[in-house]
Amino acid sequence: MIDVYRALFVGQIQAASQYRVQSVLWMLFSVIRPVIFLAAWVAVANAQGGRVASYDVRDFAAYYVALSLVSNLATSWNAYDFEFEVRMGRLSPKLLRPLHPIHYAVVENIVWKMTTIIPLLIVLGFVAVTFDARFRATPVHLVLFVPSVILGGSLAFLGGWVIATSAFWTTRVHAVSTLWDRAVFIFAGQIAPLALLPGALQTIALVLPFGYMRGVPAEILQGAVDVPTAMLLIAVQAIWVAIFYALLQVVWRVGVRQYTGVGA
Amino acid sequence: MGEPIIDVRDLRKTFRVTERQEGLAATLRSFVRRQRRDVNAVAGITFRIEAGEVVGFLGPNGAGKTTTLKVLSGLLYPTAGEAHVLGFVPWRRENAYLQQMTLLMGNRTQLVWDIPAADSFRVLQEIYGVPDESFRRTVGELTELLELQDLVHKPVRNLSLGERMKVEFAAGLIQSPRVAFLDEPTIGLDVSMQSRIRRFVAEYNRRTGATILLTSHYMDDVVALCRRVIVIHHGHLLYDGPLADLAERMAPYKIITATLRDGAAATIDLAAYGTVTGRDEGRVTLKVDRQGAPERAARLVNELGENLADISVEDPPIEEVIDRVFSEERVGTAT
Repeated sequence: MIDVYRALFVGQIQAASQYRVQSVLWMLFSVIRPVIFLAAWVAVANAQGGRVASYDVRDFAAYYVALSLVSNLATSWNAYDFEFEVRMGRLSPKLLRPLHPIHYAVVENIVWKMTTIIPLLIVLGFVAVTFDARFRATPVHLVLFVPSVILGGSLAFLGGWVIATSAFWTTRVHAVSTLWDRAVFIFAGQIAPLALLPGALQTIALVLPFGYMRGVPAEILQGAVDVPTAMLLIAVQAIWVAIFYALLQVVWRVGVRQYTGVGA
Repeated sequence: MGEPIIDVRDLRKTFRVTERQEGLAATLRSFVRRQRRDVNAVAGITFRIEAGEVVGFLGPNGAGKTTTLKVLSGLLYPTAGEAHVLGFVPWRRENAYLQQMTLLMGNRTQLVWDIPAADSFRVLQEIYGVPDESFRRTVGELTELLELQDLVHKPVRNLSLGERMKVEFAAGLIQSPRVAFLDEPTIGLDVSMQSRIRRFVAEYNRRTGATILLTSHYMDDVVALCRRVIVIHHGHLLYDGPLADLAERMAPYKIITATLRDGAAATIDLAAYGTVTGRDEGRVTLKVDRQGAPERAARLVNELGENLADISVEDPPIEEVIDRVFSEERVGTAT
């Protein structure tokens, strides 16, 4: 499998190199939204004497810088690609090879992140300096961030695949995946850090999986939660990943029987 | 006779399709209640194919050919029936099966669009676990047979349709499959490229002994490659036997073409010898009963004497036979 992944990586890096400008533009686009929210919260905090609950302006800056990084590392666009492949029959050759189609998506996902991470870090460094971001993370937080962001990325990826697999039944999954993306937008910590969501919304966010994709790794990187809480959140992330992995196994097994090979 | 490589028994595939009448009212109604209809794409077909055979799988559009190939390759689950290919149940998609089989569909790409085919070949080598030496040998052979030398290092998106089809063929055969399902392999290609692909398929079959099931709307493909054909229509098997016998079984007539000397065609009434189906200056084409064809031809030679420049007796063109089969749906299996 290592040889397979090596070959897939080489092929994907070659393909991605053809579209590096596009990749960087997508990355910049993904940073714009968190920066807008950052600017909005800074304005709110300044209007309230410099704080909103436990967050001051510099905390917001650290949170949204961390969230931008996590959003990039944990983003997944599988549902859209998968729908295209099902609708155009491009999935068929992949289904007929002795390799599960998910592996191509894993590599594609990782390569995109590899090609955008350096310009992203430069942009985020600039934002952090501009807004005087204050990270409270200890070295332990930084160590815990690694499994947390991997689990967050895995959760987003597997969730995206579960949604994408519904294309076996419906052919088009755009509406479902858009709904999923909106839920990510509301509950994953984009509008506000999970800690600042109003009571009921915060409870819902902590019960649903979305916050564990982005908000949790961002808060760990920012150092907004203490180490025991961070470890508990990582454990919950791992449970969600296990749930979505099991769900994907079932949905895939049933869904692939529905595949009609349209367009192929 | 050993175990068949492909063994299909009473295979059925039914698709449930949604239907809607035209117009706004029907569109609004369809939001609440959808009308569905079952389409029997494959309605119970049975056949066996032995190792090394090249079999033409014929039928009009919508006959169920491609659906059958998709089921046999493992892409689709059947609604009922059994199939074994190389001893495997295809739709279980076991790796051991997928490594020995290929489905090549004309006009469909499996190569990565943005990178040269040579790099896609490398990826496929690893996916199929082809050892380096076999890979080099196979790619070398495919490059030679398909004349790929200049093509494999260009990004696939820069290739013409015919060039892309050739590298698609190579990509589909990297694993040296023992069974190849070819669905319209020459569709959209110019005459010269069609001919090259045909020669390649024949040579590949000869060199490797691979079993090939081929669909094509170009009868030239079938005539060049297949001694045996299976004809299906509306999902039912109409004929399974030698291509050479298809005309004999399905078309109870022969075509006599008589070439007459200057002016004779205008004065001699040939309707007495058979049904005149064409006149082109001195060439007259007659359709005659199959059994009586030799006797009619002999009469033409005797009675026309020196007015006759040339005469031939042939089966009707294969396209005509197939068209007749599709329009009459005569069922029969050669034994």
